[in-house]
Amino acid sequence: MRLGTMLTRTFIAATALMAVAAIDAPARAQAPTTAPNPTADSVNEDLLFKQDPKIHGRISIPDQKAANLIQPQGREWRGFHEGWMPWIGAAAILGMIAALALFFFTRGRIKLEHSEESGKKILRFNGFERFTHWMTATCFVILALSGLNYIFGKRLLMPLIGPEAFATLAQWAKYSHVYLAWPFMLGIVFMLAVWLKDNIPNRIDWQWIKAGGGFIGKGHPHAERFNAGQKVVFWMVTGFGAAMGITGLMMLFPFYATDINGMQIMQGLHSLIGVVFIAAILAHIYIGSLGMEGAYDAMGSGEVDLAWARSHHDLWVEKEQAKTASGPQLRPHQAPAE
Amino acid sequence: MKAFAVAVICAVALGIAASYVLATSQKFAWQAFSTTSARVSQPGTNLVGPRWTGDVKGPHDEVAGDPQPGKRS
Repeated sequence: MRLGTMLTRTFIAATALMAVAAIDAPARAQAPTTAPNPTADSVNEDLLFKQDPKIHGRISIPDQKAANLIQPQGREWRGFHEGWMPWIGAAAILGMIAALALFFFTRGRIKLEHSEESGKKILRFNGFERFTHWMTATCFVILALSGLNYIFGKRLLMPLIGPEAFATLAQWAKYSHVYLAWPFMLGIVFMLAVWLKDNIPNRIDWQWIKAGGGFIGKGHPHAERFNAGQKVVFWMVTGFGAAMGITGLMMLFPFYATDINGMQIMQGLHSLIGVVFIAAILAHIYIGSLGMEGAYDAMGSGEVDLAWARSHHDLWVEKEQAKTASGPQLRPHQAPAE
Repeated sequence: MKAFAVAVICAVALGIAASYVLATSQKFAWQAFSTTSARVSQPGTNLVGPRWTGDVKGPHDEVAGDPQPGKRS
């Protein structure tokens, strides 16, 4: 009897407690929590990047760059040179090779006309000019190949020759890239010094462009020492050469003039200009060798046929012949006859 | 051809000269970043020891000057 009474009382008490809990639970859920959140106001990555583009700590060694912990732009730079850059480089260079091949197989080699051969020669480029051209050109070829190795070497060459041979090759390619950059930059300075005066654009160039360099209409358009197409090549070489020199020097002397963000921008610019430069020089090499008969002689021996020069650079020939006719034969106080 | 040959010789000579000039402006990390408080020491007195050649092929290979190769504990 006592046991039954006790069980009944226990059941009633338990039921009452459950009822109270059930009534109280929604009220507790709706009430604002008062428990403190210890990380609510702490510094997080987003907050740090609002204050500074980089996250850095404090260090005791003099190289303050080592204090850098996170630099998000580095991820973009890595994504560019590991993802976009090989595709851009391949499109520029293979695209130019394909365009030149198409031109060659449709138009063929531009041949000399018999009427353009007189048998007499005229000096087109003197020894120093040819020296300047070839020094810059040979350095450019090495710089281009070693530069392309930075982009494509590990993708194309390493699977063929193995990692050890590739490591040795890449080391020597790096040496040649860094050291031959100096005679290349000197060559660009020499080019500016010897050819700048003959490459100032003028109205004659516009006429040459309108005539399509001789492809549109009959006969060759007038041209001075350099026609509009050659002037474009000159300004492209000196402009890109200067840009490659400046961005290259920034990388050769890292952190002297810029921080890590600037270094990454310089590397991106150097590689982008580099592949466009290589593609453009491929066209220059084509037209100076395979593309046009007789074009190589100007930079090979330095002399071209007089009739060819009259046909392609008539105003220059007139000027040169006027010099030889009146210049050296006259004494300083004498004036040429009108 | 003469201009080309002279140009190539000059390019190589200028490249070699540039390598010597650039070498004078370069410093090793232990030279550039050593201070009285920084633990950057000259190779030979650092943790790898004075006989370190850098040429390690495997865990049991001989370290240059090690009298008992393969018996390090």
